[in-house]
Amino acid sequence: MKSYLRILGALVCLGIIVLLAIIFVPPQLTKPSEQLAADWKPAPGQGEYAMRMADCAACHTAEGGKPFAGGRAIESPMGTIWATNITPDKETGIGNWSLDEFRAALVDGIAPGGEHLYPAMPYENYRNLSETDIRAMYDYFMNEVPAVNNAVEETALSFPFNQRWGIRLWNWVALGSSGFKPETDAIAKDRQLARGAYLVQGPGHCASCHSPRNLIMAEGGTSSQDDGFLSSGVIGGWAAPDLRGANAPAQTWSAADLKAYLTTGRNAHTAVAGEMALAVKDSLQYMTDEDADAMVAYLHHIAKGERLAAPSIPDQSLSAPRQLDQATDATSLKLAKGVGLSEGELLYMDNCAACHLTNGKGAAEVFPAMSDNSLVVADEKAGLIETILYGAEMPSTAKRPEKLKMPGFAERLSDKDVAALASFLRQGWGNTAGAVTEADVKAVRK
Amino acid sequence: MTDLPGRVSRRGFLMGSAASAAFATLMNPSFSHAQVELPPLEEYKPVFFDADEWRFIMAACDRLIPAEGEGPGALETRVPVFIDLQMTGSFGDASDWYMAGPHQPDASPLFGWQSPLTPAQIYRKAIPLFQEWCQTTHGKAFEALDAETRDSALTALQKGEVGLAPELRDFFSILLQNTKEGYFADPMYGGNYQLKAWTFIGFPGARGAYTEWVTRHNQTYPLPAVSISGERA
Repeated sequence: MKSYLRILGALVCLGIIVLLAIIFVPPQLTKPSEQLAADWKPAPGQGEYAMRMADCAACHTAEGGKPFAGGRAIESPMGTIWATNITPDKETGIGNWSLDEFRAALVDGIAPGGEHLYPAMPYENYRNLSETDIRAMYDYFMNEVPAVNNAVEETALSFPFNQRWGIRLWNWVALGSSGFKPETDAIAKDRQLARGAYLVQGPGHCASCHSPRNLIMAEGGTSSQDDGFLSSGVIGGWAAPDLRGANAPAQTWSAADLKAYLTTGRNAHTAVAGEMALAVKDSLQYMTDEDADAMVAYLHHIAKGERLAAPSIPDQSLSAPRQLDQATDATSLKLAKGVGLSEGELLYMDNCAACHLTNGKGAAEVFPAMSDNSLVVADEKAGLIETILYGAEMPSTAKRPEKLKMPGFAERLSDKDVAALASFLRQGWGNTAGAVTEADVKAVRK
Repeated sequence: MTDLPGRVSRRGFLMGSAASAAFATLMNPSFSHAQVELPPLEEYKPVFFDADEWRFIMAACDRLIPAEGEGPGALETRVPVFIDLQMTGSFGDASDWYMAGPHQPDASPLFGWQSPLTPAQIYRKAIPLFQEWCQTTHGKAFEALDAETRDSALTALQKGEVGLAPELRDFFSILLQNTKEGYFADPMYGGNYQLKAWTFIGFPGARGAYTEWVTRHNQTYPLPAVSISGERA
């Protein structure tokens, strides 16, 4: 009995020592992945471009706020995380940070002084950033971004998530090795694919939304070697759709359509909405043609199985009545005839058909198609419901500046109406998603 | 007296109307839950007209678009509510008209609005004068006359035989105009209750597009009328 207690006591002591070590021994910081000359300087615009690709603004610029001055609330399952000020202001920003400290924040998630950043900062992905991109971004933030004195709200999560040392344990389990290495020889040998893989896995941090989170909230897959990589995730109740399945829109679309979607926020089939609209507005639209082609080539390269063809688009050169007359599927024919419609179908005719048309195809680059629309058929129904209630707006991009807008129908439609309408959309034109209930709508209505 | 104000006799909507087949489809009960159900018209509390004025407005509308004959009447479609609400808006107070004068009330009607009074002021001043004329001429208030006499009184008013001052001259024409407007305007303005006027004439309402119907000729449009707010007939 005594020796049992002694062993127990020793274990407790050991535990305390380990815990103190976890809390107080500074973590090892990742070394630069490449040695650049001390006087290395980025080419003009290189730093801004690297920042665009990493989409720092998406989180660090608040709506209506000064660029990179922080203050945007990032909702997480653990609570609200406030994005910090990353302008070179010495008091409230990162003006005192050395290059090594800047790198540590990006690739290790560690702020100066050893404090762990919450993984809302996608250092799981930024670990892949090249040293040139890190140096270029550092140069950009220190020299080109105007300093803004803006003290943002401190993130204050509830226990145990406010014990930041816990993130160190999380990092041990969750983080892969740092520095980007293409996952296969085929990708490594192809310059375009390798560049695309780097953009997707590194700065683009696509996996932070499009990969599912595993049991410990780490990304379920950080390269195409993992089955979960880019296989769909959830953000703010919206689906971040699967990008790799043979019938995923990102795969069924042509390379030109996928490129148009990423760089202009719209293509022949659909238009961007939700968080992805911010990614297009702040980041993807700035991709060079070469980088956009590389990203598209890589995404199509990592398809799971043979890519299927997208549903056909009506010949846009025909007049609208003739396009509609050519529809042959049951839903389009029934709507066009207008007899014996269900409540959901009637609501579609009263509220939606003027733009999305009875064939549910809408118009290229203007009105998204309803069939195989990832927002419409997603398991997470909040995106569809929110769009019906509050509308959507395309981002203005250099190539397609029009902020085309869908109005919201919150005033016009009751929860019951929205449920009937959304259920119809999820089952019309060959869609096979589950019905939406009044309770689903009530949960989304603000 | 079968057509007391507010007591609307059910008429044969469906009789002999060319729209009867379409109308039967429209009355499918599965659609009707989307309709707005309001308390009866006699329970409506006017926001502009006082009790005497309101009795006149109800009785006059009821003769201008009567309940008998084809289609719904002005009371069934709550036209008086439309007129009452218009009185307190920018039409009633002419707030978006040029009203600074000079006014020439006896100028030819071809010169447009010449009265210094707003439409609401004309209703307010002209109704008691016309009621007085009814008392003098027929011995009763307008709403107490039988239908035939009310029609002849309104005809006299229309022909300018009631002796209204020039600045009140347009009373009948705005009353008739507002009655028609209340009948056919979107229900959001208080009239065209449950889109009955649109349904009667086969107007499909504010559905936004009728694209596939552009090339379909002489076919009955099957869907019920829909209002701007999404209410369906």
